[in-house]
Amino acid sequence: MQLRRHLPAILLFLAALALWEGLVHLLQIQRFLLPAPSVIWAAFIENFDRLVHIGWFTTRQALGGFAIGCGAGILAALAVSRWAVASETLMPFAIAANSVPIIAFAPIFNNWFGVDNPFSKMMIVAVIVFFPMMINTVRGLTLVDPAALELMRTYAASELTILRKVRLPNALPYMFSAFKVAATLSMIGAVVSEYFGGNRSALGVFITQEAAQFRFQNSWAAIIIACIVGISFYLIVMLAERLAIPWHSSVRSEAGD
Amino acid sequence: MTQPVVTLSNLGMTFNAGKHNQTIALEAIDLAIQPGEFISLIGPSGCGKSTLLRLVGDLIQPTAGGVQVNGKSAQQARIDQDYGMVFQTPVLFEWRSILNNVMLPLELRGMGRSERQKRAQALLHLVELSGFEHHYPWQLSGGMQQRAAIARALAIQPKLLLMDEPFGALDEMTRERMNMELHRIWLETKTTVIFVTHSIPEAVFLSTRIVVMSARPGRILRVVDVPLTVPRGEHTREETAYFQVETEVREWLRKAKGYATHGLPE
Repeated sequence: MQLRRHLPAILLFLAALALWEGLVHLLQIQRFLLPAPSVIWAAFIENFDRLVHIGWFTTRQALGGFAIGCGAGILAALAVSRWAVASETLMPFAIAANSVPIIAFAPIFNNWFGVDNPFSKMMIVAVIVFFPMMINTVRGLTLVDPAALELMRTYAASELTILRKVRLPNALPYMFSAFKVAATLSMIGAVVSEYFGGNRSALGVFITQEAAQFRFQNSWAAIIIACIVGISFYLIVMLAERLAIPWHSSVRSEAGD
Repeated sequence: MTQPVVTLSNLGMTFNAGKHNQTIALEAIDLAIQPGEFISLIGPSGCGKSTLLRLVGDLIQPTAGGVQVNGKSAQQARIDQDYGMVFQTPVLFEWRSILNNVMLPLELRGMGRSERQKRAQALLHLVELSGFEHHYPWQLSGGMQQRAAIARALAIQPKLLLMDEPFGALDEMTRERMNMELHRIWLETKTTVIFVTHSIPEAVFLSTRIVVMSARPGRILRVVDVPLTVPRGEHTREETAYFQVETEVREWLRKAKGYATHGLPE
């Protein structure tokens, strides 16, 4: 049944690959402009061990940055939602910062932490995921049904109890939306920040170096790895969401009850 | 005479006092509610019925006069959880099963798991939701959700139940059924109830006394006794006394609205 549901998408994907392959041969497109899928696949197999190695290297930067950024974002959100003054002063900046192209700071972070230091990439990723994480969590913690707060008041519940029993569970769906965005952003952030220099075993460095030497099929093969990691990361977060908040409407409708 | 469950003395509530949008919601409310009574508050929209209920529950504080619940201040009564409250909407937490929703107030009191489970199950039986313990709120109809909310309010075995138009969102048939059930629950638990409603039939069917309030500023216009015998049932709605009380309440309500539109009784 699953296969049947996804069959159209799979067919479209295969058709697109076939069209790509056909057009490259038919129009005799130069390899450095656009290698055929078969050529990319061959490069992927040939460099497989190295690609896995550098893929894992960059994945660790992305994961590290994800953890730091999301953790800090949640902590900041807890503080901001607790104190109205903090929320009023900080939220406009957070929302503004969220639309700043933080990746542009990559060379500066390289300079601060050292171009070879994995921390420079992690920090870029952390800053990128921090803002969506914080903004979404604040929303989840504060957009609580006023009647629910009144109910807790009839129980003479403390702020901490309200946080644990109402605000945090209420925030979980918002947080998972942010985790999904952050999962995608963290891989993009890690690879792109490596374009500005980094360890030789980094995915972004490999892509730029191979491209500089006109081995574009190798760059493409590395991009496949980046795609696989990015998509896997997203799917893992989605799976965690289904396990963590099976009661929420977003998960319910997907599960098809 | 026994100590009243609720005593309201010269109670007044003014919102935004001293500002241009000052609103006198309630004025000079005096009322004593005896144990086991079922009191309905009825009146035109905006007459302060819900405000009155919130004052009793210490969800807001009065600007004049006082509220006593079980001989204590309203605040102390809230802290001691002397009352259970049912809102216009069920306010069930969607991440909790029905059983876990009903257990919430017991959990907050630190009651042991097996004990609170037993009590919650008994309450779900009382509101005829046995078998739905492990369902989630969204899997239940509006009437069933509101019954779960009633079970939750009763979980702490309160002496006083505050109900703010709990059946306002339900269709007529469901509402009548819920009225029967609430009547049965009231008889079984012997809880004192303060019930806010817009519906005259509902108020007459359920109450021992009906408090008719005037339009803003809300005052008690009349307290109508309901001399119907208990237990009440389908037959009650056909009794002569039922029609008499209904007519009396309707006439007083008309006067209450007269105050609102003309500033003078009709």
